[in-house]
Amino acid sequence: MRVTKFVVTSQDSEVLPSDIAQMIYGSGHDVDVKETCFGVMIDGEEKEIDEVVKGIRAMDPSGIFIKDRGFPPGDPRRCRGHRGGGARPGFYMIEYESKILPLISKGLAADAGGDEEEPPTEKAEWLSSDKLEAIIKKEFS
Amino acid sequence: MVKVMVYPPTSMILSDLVERMGHEALVISKEVRKKINTPGLDSPPLNITPEDTKRGLRYAAVDVPSGVRGRMALIGPMIEMADAAIMVQGGGCNLGCAGCERTNELAGFLLRTKKIPILEMRYPEDETEAKWFVRKIREFLEGLE
Amino acid sequence: MIRIAQLSCGPEYSGIQGELEKAAETVGATLIFPEVDLEDIMDVKKRFGFEVASGDLNLAMARATRIVENPDVADAVFVTTCFRCAEGAIVRSEIRKYIHENSRLPVLSYSFTERTGADTLLTRMEALVTTAKYKGLLSRERQTGLTAGIDSGSTTTKSVVMRDNEIIGTGWVPTHNVIESAEKAYDAALEAAGVKREEIEGLGMTGYGRSLAGKHFNARLIQEEITVNSKGAVFLADAQKGNATVIDIGGMDNKAISVQDGIPGTFTMGGICAGASGRFLELTARRLGVDITELGKLAMKGDHTKVPMNSYCIVFGTQSLVNSLSAGKSREDVAMAACHSVAEQVFDQQLQELDVKEPVIMVGGTALIEGLPRAMEELLGLKIIVPEYAQYIGSVGASLLVSGLVED
Repeated sequence: MRVTKFVVTSQDSEVLPSDIAQMIYGSGHDVDVKETCFGVMIDGEEKEIDEVVKGIRAMDPSGIFIKDRGFPPGDPRRCRGHRGGGARPGFYMIEYESKILPLISKGLAADAGGDEEEPPTEKAEWLSSDKLEAIIKKEFS
Repeated sequence: MVKVMVYPPTSMILSDLVERMGHEALVISKEVRKKINTPGLDSPPLNITPEDTKRGLRYAAVDVPSGVRGRMALIGPMIEMADAAIMVQGGGCNLGCAGCERTNELAGFLLRTKKIPILEMRYPEDETEAKWFVRKIREFLEGLE
Repeated sequence: MIRIAQLSCGPEYSGIQGELEKAAETVGATLIFPEVDLEDIMDVKKRFGFEVASGDLNLAMARATRIVENPDVADAVFVTTCFRCAEGAIVRSEIRKYIHENSRLPVLSYSFTERTGADTLLTRMEALVTTAKYKGLLSRERQTGLTAGIDSGSTTTKSVVMRDNEIIGTGWVPTHNVIESAEKAYDAALEAAGVKREEIEGLGMTGYGRSLAGKHFNARLIQEEITVNSKGAVFLADAQKGNATVIDIGGMDNKAISVQDGIPGTFTMGGICAGASGRFLELTARRLGVDITELGKLAMKGDHTKVPMNSYCIVFGTQSLVNSLSAGKSREDVAMAACHSVAEQVFDQQLQELDVKEPVIMVGGTALIEGLPRAMEELLGLKIIVPEYAQYIGSVGASLLVSGLVED
């Protein structure tokens, strides 16, 4: 079965979409590659894609992220050029998650390095009514 | 290898983390791929037909809006297949298949009541939270049989 | 090509996006999705003033703000969400108001189910397109020359002949066969006007049978009833400038239209339940043993509060009336209760979606059943205008508009 995947690079990764495309072209796998604003879209038979994905991940293990896509590249049923402009909803979700990829990359790097990170501090408890009362009295006295 | 449902079912971060740990991520795009490759269906863009909203009746009654039932026709079978789940909240940008919050609430409920291993987190907002986020997910995935 | 901006949540997942596109294409339009940035969606609370839990509704509101900022991106707006979704209904209504108040674009608001087909949407889409496309024609205030209009309705067929802004002949027959009834109504209007068919310079056609009858007569104008009726209403009520609200309770469906300077802005069209239609009043008249033309006068002597009406359904509603009669309630009270029931349904289900602005004009044959405008007056707390020739509204609108085409 043919599958399509998004390959998205974290903003602080040194790997460029064109580097990924070059790597795939050089690998000799029968996979179509399309560069996008987030990285590249790859399309091909599942087995070929799985092989290519391993190679791509190795380029930057904590800076490259991969996601399945339902539609092949440029499918007129989804392509905005054929469907009244405006991005499809999934575009915004990728854009949103892309913005936090640098954080995830740092998390992956730290985890791979065996960092024993302390859990984040819990959000502050509710203010007690006594403290609130004191603040009100002070503010309005 | 365990089938791990991710929620939002469109999440790139979650599906990537699941698959890099060697498990199978259950994501909506794979369901959409099946739909759009079904010969004879012509209901653009997603090939969801009014028949799907009837299939959605398995998860939500007829007085539930059609958009919830149609989404559940995609998401419901994924929940049935799932051996484990990772759900992430916060962020505020769930769109498309995850664009209806009633559907998201129902899917979350069905996953929780399925009695499978579940990890519920929030999207990290700083580096400390991100490190904890990745570590918890790795530990959860490693612990799956 | 008219560009209709689609602001929606759910149609793709209800399996009806294709139907929306088909309806738009049939009326010469294309659906577009205004471009927004992620920030527009994330900041929707600041930009629109509202944010809800469902992301697709936030996206719809973000797109609405883009349209208001750049009205050139679309010619009309179609806001649509799932039927029975409270969150969607609130957002849909707020988007409709927002577009209405902040732009000159016509808006159509609609809640769909998985059964919504292109056919259901055609008249609504056609009205949206006409409003966007023919602003010049719709702003026409005077009828000129010798023209005629035929309104081929589901229950009755009406026709008028007009000369130099005056109605000079009318015809009204029950609809049996679309073409035959249209022929009869037209002949009656021509005879009353004392003119021959070949003298007519332009014929306009509207109503359910417009396409079929329009082809038969080779009509110069074939137009849906929303734009035509609102034009006819403001013409007859002499309310062509400024705001107006037009209520048309028909034999099969109801239209509520808010009009600015004679051009429809937003409108709702209801038609799922016959209990909110002229047909229910016909049934009531038959059960009370009076002619439909007498029902209104009977109702005016009655008090609706004395008759319990627990259902809006035509079947159960009729049953309530029968029970009330056998319980000794007066025919007058029952007649008024029926009028109130119809008015209430239109008030609850359609007028809530409009900004009702005076003058409120009631048109169509049902407007002549005096109890109905009276019931509506009580519900709205406003004076209702029922213009002379209210039952000929569609044919008057068609005759007026076609004179614009003749002149051109």
